[in-house]
Amino acid sequence: MPMAHPGGSTHTFGRGGIHPDPHKEATSARGIDDLPAPAEVILPLVQHLGEPSEPCVKKGEVVRRGQKIAEGGATGVPLHATISGRVRPVDKRPHPTQAMAMAFSIAAIPEAEPELEFPEDPTWRARTSDEMLVRIREAGIVGLGGAAFPTWRKLAFAHEAKVDMLVMNGAECEPYLTSDHRLMLADPRAIVEGSLLIARCAGAREVRIGVESDKPDAQAALQKAIAQTPVGDMKVTVVPCLARYPQGAEKQLVAAVTGRNVPARALPTSVGVLVQNVATALAVHDAVRYRRPLLDRVLTVTGPGVREPRNVRAPLGTPLSEIVDFCGGLTADATRMIAGGPMMGRALPRLDVPLIKGMNGLVVLTGKGPLEDGFGPCIRCGRCLDACPLGLEPDQVSVRVEAGRTLDTERYGALDCYECGCCSYVCPSSRPLVQFMQVAKGALRRSADVRAR
Amino acid sequence: MSEMSAGPAAPHAFVLSPGPHLHVEESTRRIMWWVNGALAPAAIWGVYVFGWNALAGIAASIAGALGAEWLGARMTGRRTTLADGSAFCTGLLLALTLPPRLPAYEAFLGGVFAIALGKMIFGGLGFNLFNPALLGRAFLMASFPLAMTSGWATPRNWFGASLDAVTSATPLAVIKEHGFAAGLAVITSPAGFWNALALGFRPGSIGETSVVLLALGAGALLARRILTLTIPLSVFAGVAIATWHTGVMPIHLMSGGLWLGAFFMATDYVTSPSTVNGQVAFGLLVGLLTGIIRVYGGYPEGICYAILIANAMAPAFDLWFRPRRTAPAGTPS
Ligand code: SF4
Ligand code: SF4
Repeated sequence: MPMAHPGGSTHTFGRGGIHPDPHKEATSARGIDDLPAPAEVILPLVQHLGEPSEPCVKKGEVVRRGQKIAEGGATGVPLHATISGRVRPVDKRPHPTQAMAMAFSIAAIPEAEPELEFPEDPTWRARTSDEMLVRIREAGIVGLGGAAFPTWRKLAFAHEAKVDMLVMNGAECEPYLTSDHRLMLADPRAIVEGSLLIARCAGAREVRIGVESDKPDAQAALQKAIAQTPVGDMKVTVVPCLARYPQGAEKQLVAAVTGRNVPARALPTSVGVLVQNVATALAVHDAVRYRRPLLDRVLTVTGPGVREPRNVRAPLGTPLSEIVDFCGGLTADATRMIAGGPMMGRALPRLDVPLIKGMNGLVVLTGKGPLEDGFGPCIRCGRCLDACPLGLEPDQVSVRVEAGRTLDTERYGALDCYECGCCSYVCPSSRPLVQFMQVAKGALRRSADVRAR
Repeated sequence: MSEMSAGPAAPHAFVLSPGPHLHVEESTRRIMWWVNGALAPAAIWGVYVFGWNALAGIAASIAGALGAEWLGARMTGRRTTLADGSAFCTGLLLALTLPPRLPAYEAFLGGVFAIALGKMIFGGLGFNLFNPALLGRAFLMASFPLAMTSGWATPRNWFGASLDAVTSATPLAVIKEHGFAAGLAVITSPAGFWNALALGFRPGSIGETSVVLLALGAGALLARRILTLTIPLSVFAGVAIATWHTGVMPIHLMSGGLWLGAFFMATDYVTSPSTVNGQVAFGLLVGLLTGIIRVYGGYPEGICYAILIANAMAPAFDLWFRPRRTAPAGTPS
């Protein structure tokens, strides 16, 4: 049974979690704006978890938007030109998550031809699981909710694990972000169709779309779309979830929407569930129906450091500076650039990095970061214990790491932490508990490796 | 905010702080000052009903605590932590447990010892095993037993009611020495139950005269979620169980000392368990010990010792009552 929240039909996970100020008002009522095509895109060969893509075009070659420019190899995904133009040599360029990384760049040229055409496959609904996997892989799709794991691999794995349920992630529990919300409003039909395709591809028999209750319009739009879609014998429902962080984390979403508890260090497939993000469903729909590769992505550009917050659809590879300019530029007091949401996203050092597949938001914050004034001792207030959705003990881990007893932390859950940040968020002493957990986890894993040898 | 463009050349130095990039609007410092604020009504009332002696005692105790904190930080080369409000809190809490006529220099020494012995030697805030204020009080009891047990004062007259029946001891001490009837007389006559016990015109330590004002402060902390009711209610339950057979259980429950201890001392984050189950066990232990010490032991204000004993048990409670894992690794679901 899904866990019903007392007093309503909204669902949520069991323990822990936080209710940060959502800050979504700046962009939640704004549609998605298309960025004018940039003059140059930078396409890193690594934008996903897996091996780097291998270039399959020559430098100086003129390519069309939509054309494949790198192969995916055995575990990765291919890469496509996101603007038409001339390919520049692969070179080291600034990367959002690595300092520098090998990347294509494509310069727009006036004589370039428009985007390749992607006609509809008239029998697209009749594709087999394997055919769908090939199209999804060829389209270069990775998890668009931020994880950036190649979607074809995740689906193949789910199929093997014989999942019975697909849980669609429309929770968008990170503060500030609204891109999934606006996508659900903009194209609910394609999201429902894409979900059906994913479910069939993975062998699931039921689809549940979890949407937090701060987005009633998206819930209604999806419900209407389901009614208009030939779902066959698939059971498709929208499950309203309480607005609560980290509802969108896979384990918490699965608990909220299905009532099944995913064990620590295991994947949702261990309880028969596949989790996919709504933006990924949209991309899968385009890939299976039109063989259209992933060329753009929608992200929310917002925060007090952005003059004109917007939901933007931009070609992959667009320099973030251009996207920020499209949103009116930064305010003078902007201090921190966060790729992704402010809870789990990472700070960027510079704006000349490209938009990559997994980046669902750019949140520009002002003022000091939580750690800039240092942190205090643990006052044993227990707030981090109450906040941890897994029931771990970050306070105990942190004092042991501080005392140099890093290997003494396994029993307090250091290995199970998935770094949601709830503990750090609530700690009145501003202790960097996530980082303490990371340190402990790393040390425990290394010592386990040493012992295994 | 001045006009500025965000071209790639914009000379912005972005801060690379680790996540999460948001933080709750609460800090240790803010919590401590809220606790101090919540204690203020009872402290001010104590000064009002007991006069300048009480004010001198409070000021001396806080000064002693702050002085020791400052010196300790200097000596160990640590960042001075005066502004975090915790030493102030220790001094204030200690003062509220003292008899109004305790000489100010003794209160000062109490504050010094509370911090030096209660906190500094353990390694500072967060590492102390015992509630520093109560350790300071225990030190004073051992060093100045006479002043600590006879420094009571008759509260100021109010509502025209005469309080001359009041002896120079707390009602609980009267019950202990002269039996229940005498104790009852202290609080029921002539000024009446609420006047004497709830509104705070009864003998006792500086901070325990008014249950109503203590409750007011506790209410503010509850509303701000600095406190939860788990520990205080467990303490009350423990006292009720231990004093059930005496027939004066309600008097025990309505003593300001119990409220001060249950809401403001047993709840000290550092020296109490962190999980709800641990807190229930801890609170019950405090309550039971308080009742037993009051009924059978030599100390009417037994809660101070009860809390100190339970403090020593807190790490064990934390070990026995750990949070429940949502779904540990390897569990079938
Ligand atoms: S970051 Fe780890 S320890 Fe902290 S709340 Fe999340 S899962 Fe728990
Ligand atoms: S929230 Fe911070 S201060 Fe409180 S117990 Fe956890 S680590 Fe310690």
